[in-house]
Parts: sequence; structure tokens; C-alpha cells
Amino acid sequence: MGNRRYLCLQRSQPGPGRPKPSPAQMQEMYATFNAWKEKFKDQILDLGGPLKPGGKVVSAAGAVDGPFVEVKEIVGGYMMIAAESYEQAIEIARECPGVVSPGSSVEIREIMET
Amino acid sequence: MIRGNDPVDAPGLVEHYFRHEYGRQVALLARKAGVRHLAIVEEAVQAAMLAALTAWAARGLPEDPSAWLYRAAWRNLLGELRRGARRRRILEQTAPELVREGDDPPVPSFAADVPDDMLRMLFVCCDEAIPGESRLVLALKTLCGFSAAEIALRLFTTEANVRKRLTRARHKLRESALAFETPPLASLATRLASVHTVLYLLFNEGYLAAHAELAIRRDLCDEAIRLTTILAEHVIGAVPDTFALLALMHLQAARLPARQDATGALLLLEEQDRSRWDDDHLREGAVWLARSAQGDTFSRYHAEAGIAAEHAFAPSFAETRWDRIDELYAMLERIDPSPQHTLNRAVAVAERSGPQAGLALLHELRPPAWLTESYQWHAVLADLHRRAGDVILARDHRDRALACAPTTFVRELLRRRLSLR
Repeated sequence: MGNRRYLCLQRSQPGPGRPKPSPAQMQEMYATFNAWKEKFKDQILDLGGPLKPGGKVVSAAGAVDGPFVEVKEIVGGYMMIAAESYEQAIEIARECPGVVSPGSSVEIREIMET
Repeated sequence: MIRGNDPVDAPGLVEHYFRHEYGRQVALLARKAGVRHLAIVEEAVQAAMLAALTAWAARGLPEDPSAWLYRAAWRNLLGELRRGARRRRILEQTAPELVREGDDPPVPSFAADVPDDMLRMLFVCCDEAIPGESRLVLALKTLCGFSAAEIALRLFTTEANVRKRLTRARHKLRESALAFETPPLASLATRLASVHTVLYLLFNEGYLAAHAELAIRRDLCDEAIRLTTILAEHVIGAVPDTFALLALMHLQAARLPARQDATGALLLLEEQDRSRWDDDHLREGAVWLARSAQGDTFSRYHAEAGIAAEHAFAPSFAETRWDRIDELYAMLERIDPSPQHTLNRAVAVAERSGPQAGLALLHELRPPAWLTESYQWHAVLADLHRRAGDVILARDHRDRALACAPTTFVRELLRRRLSLR
């Protein structure tokens, strides 16, 4: 287990959703996800979860509805992982089923330890 | 409560859990909300399952996954109906039971309610107002949890065609008076014959389709057996016809694993390794066949189960009782006159009394175009003429059989079987 912490933000393109998986595919996704979780259980600090759409942006001027519309991608979910390096963090995120799929991407940011 | 995780399989969940659970949940909720809300019910269950993926993966399986899904689907359904109705009064009219039970519904007893609700849904799918081919697709979608693409793959058709049939079925359901209430199962009993037909078609799509992948065909056979078993064990369907239909399915399913060799090529009955026939299915088939022998009607399913039993319990191809099979086909022709049965009977007659006798039977037949354009018709004629020593006619029919063969597997089988030596 690495000693650096990384925040993974899942981004996806808004618009018409991808085709919904069938129940049989969901069973497969569930199995794959659990296998992935098992493999990286030491690295996954917090599985996080999906984020509700919308949100607020706070600044000195007050709170406004966000995220901003000009942003083409919306942040849909987050999780926290531990890794030795960006390379390892990328590997963990890339193997996560459902995270890196067509029309979606993951932003990985190392958390600065103070 | 978290259960142990098995990283290879879907941990803690039986095979086909999501697919079968989909059928159960849709059936339960369609009763609560009314069949006319079927599309919204299906979406609510789908969304609940997607939510379950995230929640269960993160926190482990809940103690009662079915109850978890039911509550989640219920909330989705109520939310969606509220959005649509806007005013409470309208909502009460559209789905009174949902409104009465509110946001925290009692979870139904799955063991007690599910067979009833599944059967009600099956009978609803078999509405006479819905075209036959759409009934099958609707049952596969709502009760077996297959997506349009998965149905298309199994029925050898396009996804667009499946969607078209589904739309037509849902449209008819909304039009139908039944859609405004949840009909008691007993009032649907007159549809039993239509239910039998759909289950029979479902099984045959799996059994007869020359699909490359055995597993894919097996799915349909298993689904047909699962639903027919629920029907046979329920008071509404526990009649000899149902038992005969279920016997037929088990006896045919028993032979399924031996119908293909290791390369996927189809094997003729006489080439099959009988030790590979499935003993469990043979036993089940025998039990249901015995139970079907009662009452005063001899249905087409009785005749077909009888034929399947003759094949399944014959010690070898040579020792098959062709006279019995001939007799049963003759009964089947009387119950359900079809030149297809005559064609099958000709094969039995030829085994029993020689190729000339089989050909004589076919000579009397005036076959319709759909039959003379099928590979079976030409394959049987080619085989009988070959065995009768008429090489020219045999070659002619063989070429036409090859030209009509629907798949390469069937073409290979014909080439092997009909090679002129």
C-alpha cells in the first residue's frame, strides 16, 4: 500500500445517457466490481459514491448554482485511494469497472500531505 | 449485515439473480400499480438495480436483497407517478394502492406472492389482443429480464424488430380494459391455451434454433421450464395439458447437450452419444409425463411428449419403437393438422417400413409453399430418395435443401447426411 493519497473524480459527458445495462449485464458488472474491489482493497480508502447533479459554488459574492454550464463534463462521483505514485493510482482507476468507459473520464489528484 | 465476498462470482447472489429478480419485481409492482404503468414499473426496477450495484458493492449485500430492491423500486415508481400526476387526487385515481401504502410500503412475502404475480403477468402478456409474436417478446422482456438486444440475439432477429414488437404489445396492453385494474388471476384462466402456446414457442426457440452457442439456446429452454413449472404447480395451471407440456420440455432438454459435437457441429439423433443425455431432465420428464396421463383430453402436448419419450427412452437408435412414434404422429395430425407433422411422420414410417412407404405418405400431401421452401422438406425427400436408390431426385432435393439451410451448422449437417455415396 502506498503512502500517498489520491482523490479520483469521475467525469462524464452530459447528454443522452449511454444505453442502460440489462439485468444480466448488471450481474456481471456487480461481479466484476467486487473482483476489482477485492484486488485493490488495501488501496481503496473510501469507495466514495455518486454525486447528485447540480450543487452550489460559494464565493465572496455569495452562493450560486453550479457547476458552471460552460464546463462540458460533469463530475458524477468520487473515491479516495492510496498509492505509491500517480502511475499506480492510474492503474487502479483504469481497472475499476464502469469508471473509465466511453464518454467518461477520471481526474486523479494527489492530496498534499501537510 | 455484510456477507462474505467471493471475488470470482457475483458474491452472495445465485446465478441469474438480477435477471430473475427483475421478473419478480416487475410482476409484483405491476400488480400494485396496474399493468398500464408497465413501462414506468420496468424503469423503476431497472433504476433500483443500478442503485443496488453501487450500494451493495460499497457496503456489502443487505440481509434481504429482494426486500431492498422492492423498497428502492417502489420509491422510484411512486416518485415517477407523482411527477406525472402532479395532484394527489389524480395520483389516487391512477394508482390507488400505491398511494395508500405511501412511502414506506410493507414488503410482500416473496415466497407467497411471487408465483401468483409472475403467473398473472404471464397471463397478462398472453392477452389475445396482442399479436402472437409480440406476446413472446413481452414475456421475455418483463418476466425473464432480457433486454431488447438480448432477445434479438436469442430470437434471430434485429433489435429494431424486437422494439417494434414490444411497442405494439405495450400499446395493446394500454388499450385493453384490463390495463385499468389488476385482474384477479382466476379471471384470466380462459387464456391458459394461449399461455401454453407462448411457453411452447419459448422452449422451441431455444431448442430448435441452430444457434452457434449452446449456452444461449439453453437460456430460453431453462426459462420456459422455469415458468412452466410455476404454472404446473399452481392451481390455475395444474391440468394434464400443462403437465404434458412440461414433460415434453424436460425430455427434449435432456437431449440438448448431445446435439452438438465439440466443434459445435449439429449431430443427428443416430449419431448422438446417449450417455450424454441429461439424467435429471429424463427423470423429471418421466414424472411429469406420468402425471399428464389423466383426464379426458389428449392434447398435442401429450402427443409430442409421447414422441419425445419414445426417443428419450429408446436404448439405441436401432431399437427405437418407430411404430409407436408413427401412431403418435398420426394422433398429432388429427389434433393439430399440419403438413409439418406429416413430414415428421414420413421419417418414422420410413424407419419402420422402408423409404418407399415414407415417400408414399409424402406423395399424398399437397405441401404449402412455406414447407416446400424449407430445408426440412427437401432434406427428408433427398434422404428418402437416396435410400430408395433414386440418385437423380436425391441430388436435386439435396441441392435445394442446401440452398434453403438457414445456418452454416445446418448446411454442414445436411452435407454430411445427404452425401451421395
